Amino acid sequence: MVRFILRRNWLRLLIWAVVLVGMIPLVYESQRAAFPTEADREAYASIANTPSVAALTGTPYAADTLGGILVLKIWMTLAVTLAFATSFLVTRNGRADEEDGRTELLRSNVLGRHAYTVANYLVVGGFDILVGAAITAVAAAMPLPFDGSLVLGASLAGLGLFFLGVSAACGQLTSTSRGANGLAAVVIGTAFVVRAIGDLDGTGTTPGWISGLSPIGWAQQMRAFGENRWWPLAPLVGGAITLCAIAVRIEARRDLGAGVLPDRPGPSAAGRFMMTPFGLALRLQRASIAGWFAAVVVMALLYGSVASAMANLLGSNPVFAAVFGPNGSSATKGVIALLVMLNAIVASAFVVESALQVRVEEASGRAEPQLAGSISRIQWAGGRLLLPIIGSALMLVVGGVVMGSAYGASQNDAAQVWALLCASVIYWPGVLVTAGVTVFMIGVVPRLAPSLSWAFFAAVVIISVFGELFSLPTLITGNTPLTATPRLPVGQFTMPPILVLTAVAAVLWAIGLVRFARRDLAQDA
Amino acid sequence: MTTTSLAVDVVGLRKSFGRQRALDGLDLRVETGQIAGFLGPNGSGKSTTIRILLGLLRAEATTVRVLGGDPWNDAVALHRRIAYVPGDVNLWPNLTGGQAIDILSRLRGGVNTTRRDELLQRFDLDPSKKARAYSKGNRQKVALVAALASDAELLILDEPTSGLDPIMEAAFSACIREARTEGRSVLLSSHIFAEVENLCDTVTIIRLGKTVESGTLAELRHLRRTTISVILDDTTADLSPVPGVNDLAMDGQRATFTVADPDLGLVLAELAHFKPRALVSTPPSLEELFLRHYGTELAANGVSVP
Ligand SMILES: Nc1ncnc2c1ncn2[C@@H]1O[C@H](COP(=O)(O)OP(=O)(O)OP(=O)(O)O)[C@@H](O)[C@H]1O
Ligand SMILES: [Mg+2]
Repeated sequence: MVRFILRRNWLRLLIWAVVLVGMIPLVYESQRAAFPTEADREAYASIANTPSVAALTGTPYAADTLGGILVLKIWMTLAVTLAFATSFLVTRNGRADEEDGRTELLRSNVLGRHAYTVANYLVVGGFDILVGAAITAVAAAMPLPFDGSLVLGASLAGLGLFFLGVSAACGQLTSTSRGANGLAAVVIGTAFVVRAIGDLDGTGTTPGWISGLSPIGWAQQMRAFGENRWWPLAPLVGGAITLCAIAVRIEARRDLGAGVLPDRPGPSAAGRFMMTPFGLALRLQRASIAGWFAAVVVMALLYGSVASAMANLLGSNPVFAAVFGPNGSSATKGVIALLVMLNAIVASAFVVESALQVRVEEASGRAEPQLAGSISRIQWAGGRLLLPIIGSALMLVVGGVVMGSAYGASQNDAAQVWALLCASVIYWPGVLVTAGVTVFMIGVVPRLAPSLSWAFFAAVVIISVFGELFSLPTLITGNTPLTATPRLPVGQFTMPPILVLTAVAAVLWAIGLVRFARRDLAQDA
Repeated sequence: MTTTSLAVDVVGLRKSFGRQRALDGLDLRVETGQIAGFLGPNGSGKSTTIRILLGLLRAEATTVRVLGGDPWNDAVALHRRIAYVPGDVNLWPNLTGGQAIDILSRLRGGVNTTRRDELLQRFDLDPSKKARAYSKGNRQKVALVAALASDAELLILDEPTSGLDPIMEAAFSACIREARTEGRSVLLSSHIFAEVENLCDTVTIIRLGKTVESGTLAELRHLRRTTISVILDDTTADLSPVPGVNDLAMDGQRATFTVADPDLGLVLAELAHFKPRALVSTPPSLEELFLRHYGTELAANGVSVP
C-alpha cells in the first residue's frame, strides 16, 4: 500500500520537498549578503521587533545571529506551506480518492479497511519527517550550528505532523475533498491568526499567552538557534497521533463515501434561477462562497481590531518609529494597508478557486451534456465566471467596510469606513487579473490549469507579502497584480495602474474565453 | 439550412489526439426517422465520433452534416434539435436527479414537465435523491429521462443501456420505438447485439476508427453465410465434394455446414440427392458478423472464432 501511494505521488512529494528545502539556502544567502558583519546583524536585531514582523512571521529572537534571522525570514512561510502541503496530500489520497470511487476498488482487494488510510498517513508523515531532516541537513551545511538546525527541522516536521492529524480528521468529518481541504485551511488560518495576535501581544522576545493556543505557536516556541527547546515537540506529535487515531475510529464507524452528516432527500425539480449557468454556479459553490465570506468577515474584524491595538502600541515605541518614520500615524497606515492587501489575497484565492470550477466541470465530464444543450461555450463559461467577478467585488466591499468599521470604531473615526472601503475596492482589477490568468490557463492549457493557476497565485502572494524580505528586485515586487495596485492608505491613488490592470485582465479573459470556445473539450479519462 | 433525408451524414471522418489517430476515415449515415446502430470494440472511436457530431470535438477536414448543419459552427442552433445521452453519466453529487434533469433540459430549450414525470414513472426513478446516492443504473436513467423528455428530432445515445436492468432495458426499447413512430431519428452506440438487432434499422460497424461494414440488417446478413444443419438418412454420405459447402462437421446423421448466400440455391439442389429428413437454417446473428470482423483481435487474445 505504502509503495502504491508513493508511486502515485512521488513527483508531487518531490516538488513540495524541493520547494520547501530549497528556500533555506536561497534565503540564507540573501541574508548573509544583506547582513555580512556582526555589527549589521546587531543593528538589525535592535529594529527587527516590529508589530508587522511579529504579526506576519512571529516574535523575533536571536535576531543578531544568522540562524535567528533565517528563522525570522523563512520559518513562518515554511511552516504554513508545509501545513498546506500536508493537508492537500492527505486529502488527495484520502477523501478525494474515496469521492471518486478509487478507494472502493482498492478496498475490495485489500485486507484491512484501514490499510489504505494508515498507509496514506504513514507516507505523508514520512514526507514531513524527511522534509524536516533535509532542512536540518541543508541548514547545517550552510553552515549553521547543528543543534539549532536540528531543532529547526524538528519544529517544522512536528508542525507538519500535527496538521497531518488535523487534515486526517477533516477528511473523515466532511464528505467531499473540497470540504476537507477547506476545513483544514480554516484550521491552519485560525492557528496562524491566533498566533499573530499572541505575538503582537508579546513583551520583548516573548509572545503573549494567546500564542500558546496555536500549534504554530508551539512549534515557534522550540526557538531554533535561540534556546533550542525540545518540549514543544511533545504536544505536536501527541496531537498528531491523537487526531489520526480519532480519524481511524470515525472511519471504522461510517460507510464508505459518507461523512459524519447523512444525506437528506432534496427537491425533485430545479428552480428557475438554478437553470441558468450563473445560478447553477452559485448553487454549486454556495457552501464554499459562504466559507470565503465568513473568512473575510472574521479576518477583517480581527485585522481591524489588531490595527487599533497596534496604533496604541506605536505611540510609545521609538524602535518602530525608526522604521516607518517618526510619525506614528503613518506607521499605522502602513500596517492597515498591508492588512487590506491580505484581504485582497483572500479575494484572489476565491476567484482562482471559483473560476477553476469551469475546468472542474469540464474535466469531470459534467460540462459535456450541458454544452450539448443549446448554449454557446462563451455563454456557458461566461455565466459561470460571472460568479468570481461579482463575488470578488462583494468580498472586497465587505472586507473593506468591516475592517473600516472595526478600525474606525476603535479610533472613533467613522471616516475610516469609507477610506478602507476605497482602499479595498481598488484591488478589484488586480484580483481580476489573477482570475484572468486562471481563465487564460483554462482556455489554453486546460489540463495544467489548476496547478498553474495556483502556482501563479502562490507566487503573487509570496512576492507581495514577503518580496521585500527576500530583497527581490522592485521590477518583480512592484508589478504583481496586488503590488501594482496603489497601496492605500499609505500611497497615493493614481489611475494609470488601475487602467493597465483592467486592460491586462480584459486581454487575459478574452483570450481564455475565445480559446475555450474554439478548442476540443478535454475530459479527464 | 438544407433539408436532406439524412439526419447524420459523415464521410471519411478523421481525428487525432496528438500523435494518436482515433478516427481514420469513418463513414456514418443515419436516415431520418430511422434507428441506426453503431457498433465497434472498445476504443474503436464511437464516443469520439459522437462527440464530433455534437461539436464537442472538432473534426479534421471533412464534411460532417448533422440535421443539415455543421455541428461545430452551428452547434447552438442544432442542439435545440438534438438530445444526447453521454457514455459516462456524471452528475453533480450534491444535486438531486430531478434537478439535474431540469438543468440539462433547460439548456436544450425547455422542460416538458408532463413528459418528464411520465418518464420518471416509466423508468421508476426517484428524482428527490442526491446524485451521489444513485447507483450506476439510476444515474444512467437521469440522463435518459433528460434526453427522452425533449422533443428533439435526433437522439444521440452513447451506450444508453449500460447499467440498466432487463426490465428497464425493455422500457428503454419501448421509448426508442415510440420515438421512431413520432418520426425522430436515433443514433445508438452499443455493445449489446440483441439490443441492436431488436431495435435498429441500419447498423454501422467500425474498427480502429474505420467503418468496416454498414447497411440495413437484412443487407448485412445477405452478404454473409447461413448456417445449415441437416439430418440425413444415409450416414455414409459425404457432403464435402459439394461445391459451396464450407466448415463441414458431421455428427452421426447430422451434418452442419455454412453456405455463402449466393450459393444457397445450388447447394440445396445438390442436397436433395442426399435425401435430407430435416433441415434447419440459421441466419447469421449480428454477433457472428461482428466477431468475424474482429477475428484478428480476438485471436491475438487467444479466443478462437467460429
Ligand atoms: N481526449 C483524448 N485524448 C487522447 N486520446 C483519446 C481521447 N479521447 C479518446 N481517445 C482515444 O481515441 C480512441 C477512441 O476512443 P473512444 O472513446 O471514441 O472509443 P469507444 O469506441 O467509445 O470505446 P468504448 O466502447 O470503450 O466506449 C481510443 O484509443 C482512445 O484512447
Ligand atoms: Mg465510448
